Amino acid sequence: MHQRYRLLRLLADGRFHSGEALGAALGIGRSAVWKLVASLGELGLEVFGVTGRGYRLAYPIEFLDRGRILDAIAPPTRQLIADVDVHNSLESTNRLLLERAANGLANGSVCLAEHQTDGRGRRGRSWVSPFGANVYLSLYWRFDAAPQGLNGLSLAAGVAVARALGAAGIDGVGLKWPNDIIWEQRKLAGILIEMSGEATGPTHVVAGVGLNVAMPRSAGEHIDQPWADVQTASGGAQDRNQLSAGLIQELAVAFSEFATAGLGPTLLHEWERLDVIRGRTVALRTGQGEVVGTAVGLDEFGSLLVMVNGKTQRYHSGEVSLRV
Amino acid sequence: MDIRKIKKLIELLDESGVAEIEIQEGEESVRISRHCAPAPVTAGVPAAAPTTPVAAVAPAPAAPSESQETAASEGETLPPGHVVKSPMVGTFYRSPSPGAKSFVEVGSQVEVGDVLCIIEAMKILNQIEADVAGVIKAIPGENGQPVEYGQPIFVIE
Repeated sequence: MHQRYRLLRLLADGRFHSGEALGAALGIGRSAVWKLVASLGELGLEVFGVTGRGYRLAYPIEFLDRGRILDAIAPPTRQLIADVDVHNSLESTNRLLLERAANGLANGSVCLAEHQTDGRGRRGRSWVSPFGANVYLSLYWRFDAAPQGLNGLSLAAGVAVARALGAAGIDGVGLKWPNDIIWEQRKLAGILIEMSGEATGPTHVVAGVGLNVAMPRSAGEHIDQPWADVQTASGGAQDRNQLSAGLIQELAVAFSEFATAGLGPTLLHEWERLDVIRGRTVALRTGQGEVVGTAVGLDEFGSLLVMVNGKTQRYHSGEVSLRV
Repeated sequence: MDIRKIKKLIELLDESGVAEIEIQEGEESVRISRHCAPAPVTAGVPAAAPTTPVAAVAPAPAAPSESQETAASEGETLPPGHVVKSPMVGTFYRSPSPGAKSFVEVGSQVEVGDVLCIIEAMKILNQIEADVAGVIKAIPGENGQPVEYGQPIFVIE
C-alpha cells in the first residue's frame, strides 16, 4: 500500500516514466511495477502504458500539502485552526473526524484526503472521490449551543463555500437549499454536516465539503446528477492547496460568526442573494412524500418556504429538485 | 389515543387562543400546550399553517416519575425505563442509509455512546447516542417521519 503512494509521487508530473526506472526507484521488478500501476485504477486514476515509453498519469497531480495550506490561510483566521491533517486515502474525512471527536479533538481541526473509499453524501448517497483530482475536506467545530439551535449552520456553511469560490475567481456560483453549491444548474460542491452531542449542548460538529476541481471523465460517469468542476467553471487549472485553504478559512470565519450571532441577517441575506430556486417551481421530497410548489425563500431560521396551492408552507427537511 | 384526534385538538387550541388543553380517556391522557418559552424552530409539519404559533404536543405525565411518560403521539403507554427524547425538530431515521440495517432494534443491548438513530434537519445529520447502557425496550419514533423537540424516541432499560 505504501509503495503505491511512492509510485504516485514518481508519476505525479504527468510525464512518461519507464518501468525500469520506476522499478529501480522503488526497489522492485518490472512485473511488480506493472501490478502496482494496474492497482492505481482502484484510486480512480487513469494511467497510460505505452510500449517503449513506459507509464504516465492521464493528468499531473499536485499533492495536497499541509504547510502550503496552512500558509495560505490569512493570519487572523489561521489562529482558529488547530491543525490540518492530510491523508492519502480514507474511508471518509467526516468519519475520521467524528471518531476522533468522540475522544476529544481540538476545535478547528481539519482533515483532508487525496482519495476517499467511502465518500458520502446525504442518506447513504456516495460522493465520487478519485485520487488527487478534487478537494475532500472536513472541519471539526465545537459549539456551546444545543443541536436544536444549529440548523442554520447548514446555510452558513453554504455561504462560506460560495465565498471561498468567489474569492478564487469563480463567477456564477449559487446555492440550492439548503446548501448544494451550484454552477450553471450543475452541482459543483456538496456539504455534509454531521453532529453529535447532549440535548443541552455542547455539540460536536463535523462539516465536510466535497469540491469537484478537475474530475476525470471516467470518475464523473459514476455521478448520478449533473455536475461541474472548478476547472470548467473557472476556465483553467486551479491549485487545490489554495482552494482548500480558502474553504477552511471561510468555513472557520462563518462558524465563529455563527457561534456568536447565529444565523444573523448578514448570513441570511447573503444566502438569499445566492438562492437559485427562488421563484421557481420545485419538487420537495420528504419522508411523507413529494410536494410541488413555488420556492419563495427562507424564514428567519433558514427553513425553506414553498407556496403550495396558494398557501406558504415551511420545511426543515427534504430534497429539492427543480421542475422544468 | 388516535393521532387524528390529537391533530384536531391542536387545531382547536390554535383557533381558541386557549393556552393548554388536557384530555383524559380511560387510562390515557394528553396535554397540549403552547410554548411560552421562545419557540424552537418549528417548521416541518406541513399540516400546520406557518403563520400560527405551533402547538407542542407535550406528553402528559402518567405518573410522577419521568420514566413513566406517555408518548402522546403514539397513543400507547411506554414501558418503564430511561426515555431518550429527540433533542431537535427533524426527521427520524433508524438506519445510516435507506435499506441499511437499523442501528438498534427492540431487544438490542446498547452501551453508552452507541448510535441509536439519526435525526436530520436541513441536511444536518445528528447522531443520537445512548446516554445509558441497557436494553432497548421500545422505539416510539417511526422511521422517516418527523419528530418534535422532546418527543420520546427510545426507551432503554
